[in-house]
Amino acid sequence: MTLDFAILDPAEWMVASAEAIALVVIVAGLLQIVFYFVLLLYAGAALGTRPPVPRSATLWRRYSDQAPAISVLAPAFNEELTIVESTRSLLALQYPDFEVIVINDGSKDGTLDRLVSEFGLEQVDRFVDRSVEHAPIRGFYASPRLPRLLLVDKENGGKADALNAGINCSRTALFCAIDADSILESDALLRVVRPFIDEPDLTIAAGGTIRIANGCKVDSGRISDIKLPRNFLALVQIVEYLRAFLMARVGLGRMQALTVISGAFGLFRRRQVVEVGGYSHGTVGEDMELVLKLHRLMREAKRDYRIDFIAEPVCWTECPDTLSVLGRQRARWQRGALECFVKHKDMLFNPRYGRIGIVGFGHILLVDVLGPLLEVLGYILVPLLWALGLLALPWLLAFLAVTFMFGVSLSIATLVLEEIQLRRFPKARELAVLAIIAVLENFGYRQLSNLWRLQGWWQFIRKQQSWGTMTRKGFSTS
Amino acid sequence: MTTLRALWEVSLALCVLAMLALLVLLLARVLSARLFDRTSAVRQRLLPLLLDGDPAELEPLRKGELQAAADLTVEIAEMTRGSEREALLARATALGVTDLLIGRLRSRKAQSRLNAVEALSMFEGSHDYVINALGDRNPDVRLGAALALAQHANAPAPIDIVNKLNESAEENSLLLVSLMVDLAETNSDAVAGLLFEEDLSHRVKVAAMDALSQRGGEYAPLLAYMARGSGNEPELQPRIFRALGRTGHPAGAEAIMEGMASDNWIVRAAAAEAVGKTRLVAAADRLSTLLNDPHYWVRYRASEALLRIGTRGVSVLREATRSEDPVVRSAALKMLAEGRA
Repeated sequence: MTLDFAILDPAEWMVASAEAIALVVIVAGLLQIVFYFVLLLYAGAALGTRPPVPRSATLWRRYSDQAPAISVLAPAFNEELTIVESTRSLLALQYPDFEVIVINDGSKDGTLDRLVSEFGLEQVDRFVDRSVEHAPIRGFYASPRLPRLLLVDKENGGKADALNAGINCSRTALFCAIDADSILESDALLRVVRPFIDEPDLTIAAGGTIRIANGCKVDSGRISDIKLPRNFLALVQIVEYLRAFLMARVGLGRMQALTVISGAFGLFRRRQVVEVGGYSHGTVGEDMELVLKLHRLMREAKRDYRIDFIAEPVCWTECPDTLSVLGRQRARWQRGALECFVKHKDMLFNPRYGRIGIVGFGHILLVDVLGPLLEVLGYILVPLLWALGLLALPWLLAFLAVTFMFGVSLSIATLVLEEIQLRRFPKARELAVLAIIAVLENFGYRQLSNLWRLQGWWQFIRKQQSWGTMTRKGFSTS
Repeated sequence: MTTLRALWEVSLALCVLAMLALLVLLLARVLSARLFDRTSAVRQRLLPLLLDGDPAELEPLRKGELQAAADLTVEIAEMTRGSEREALLARATALGVTDLLIGRLRSRKAQSRLNAVEALSMFEGSHDYVINALGDRNPDVRLGAALALAQHANAPAPIDIVNKLNESAEENSLLLVSLMVDLAETNSDAVAGLLFEEDLSHRVKVAAMDALSQRGGEYAPLLAYMARGSGNEPELQPRIFRALGRTGHPAGAEAIMEGMASDNWIVRAAAAEAVGKTRLVAAADRLSTLLNDPHYWVRYRASEALLRIGTRGVSVLREATRSEDPVVRSAALKMLAEGRA
């Protein structure tokens, strides 16, 4: 009888409910943290045992004879300000056999005219594949003076559609999908192609690191001086990208459970991509979806394969430095992840898909699907319930541990890994600045980022499809 | 409650640990920046010694300077050839660089061992060390040693190198082709002999075929023989047809013609490509039937081959532009347009 009274006692019931809520939030956060630490260990092991990394000259001497031909696909939409410089930089890549296919995705500005006039292109005809779907092509432009360059002018259909057109137009076994406004390091192709040389029969895709170019000096389409930006949001994103690429993707690549290769820089075997129908329309997470479709194809056909991530090849990109643009980008990323998750939900914890079903999809469920919901719930309820006296102090401390302290230690540990293995920041001062940012980002920015992700959730529920506008300021030139 | 508090305390401890580790690394970075300045000065001082002067007048360097000298030697050696390189290596040997490189072969870092092997292969008298590196625990170092050895006239027999490479794990790299190409430079018959080794993997044999095909028509009859025997191996056939195409020799005509009738589109496309490269005029009619192949790559390779084989091919393409089949018509029209461009 006493027990019954106790259960029905409203005060105790409220405390028990409060503790249950806090427990869910803390356990979910803890699971994420444990997963991240495991990824960090895998990333450390992957970087520590990665194949020797030769200098560019050695790389060329060793690989140039056998490096398979690559089509670099650069979709461009309203990029008249930067497209000429970007194309020049692509044409100057150090790689023995490649073609650059710029796809003008129905730009409304002078992108097409600028390319045609600057490179002296003329309208030509080309026998192209029709294997993957895309909006109609209006014309091809090329010049005998620049045999490596092909300009495809097509009706607007979005980035995925433009990449599909590029895939159909490419005549090489491998294609590299990039953003036209990004800058590839000159030897990036030679480095990212390595898995295709080492395991030519197994490798079907490989991704490389994306780094933030804000603050860096650009000279003739190349990063000439690596510097940190002064904008706080850009600095925070440098730490975020380090965590995402150096820890998560290197770690997941080592586990062979990579679920995304960034749309800004990825190398794919054309044949398998055509087999899965190319990039999907009607999703903003087309890069993630392509990788998931490739996993599905190979797993269902019981074919051995590899999808790798290489830390060294670098693609530089400009990141948003205003709250509004960054918010839109993050909401879109969240929406993309949810769309992919729902579309392929049958792979979740399905043994048929091996480690992709268990590890890859477990990661998406924990981080992208449940993560923002539970974390925002925690931010609101745990301090409130503690203030109301429904939760004891240790509950609040445990919540702070999973949301702040472990986050800080993970970010700093990623910086440690970067410094030991890659040393890509030229000055010690820059590393110190990033360490400070890794602490500060947890107070304000992280919460805001979760709100943007909730916004993405909301857009996903309302089936919103737009990409939003990414306002670019252009790289600083020296 | 104890667990919850422990969570907080562990998180604090991890934070402090991570920060301490980063602090140590930051200090190390500051120190290494100073060391870098010193190394730069040493390099500047060593550069004239390596580039000029009589080796007999040079004395072995101390350890700190020797490391800079070794790195500098490798960098310059990669940019020089012939007598200039020989003189550089003689000076480097006199300074003690070879001893340092031999020491680096015992390094824990695979990168160091690989660099040392590649560098040592340039020095006279270091052949045995490079051969030993074929047994290295790291596959990249083993392959690096094999590639370095293959560039010398006194390289071990191809079969011995391949057996060493495959001792602990089968080598899959496309660099096997580079290895075979270099080995074929000095001993092409031994490379051809690999094709008849029963225990060797297809991968090695295909690499050998690729290498032999780069020697022109000399080995075309052998490749044609291999092509005829590969009828039931559709995974191998495309590589063999491409190799045959590369020879530009008509020896493989019969096998290539058969390949165009394969059920596998990859084989058909490779055979059509080989027709174009060997300019098999007799295959023009067969190519025209591939213009309505269900697979784009076969249509593309067939139309491209028709363009390559000259007048007869172009007339077949022109005829195809009048075909009732829109697929054939389109392929012919587009390829003729490309040919004009």
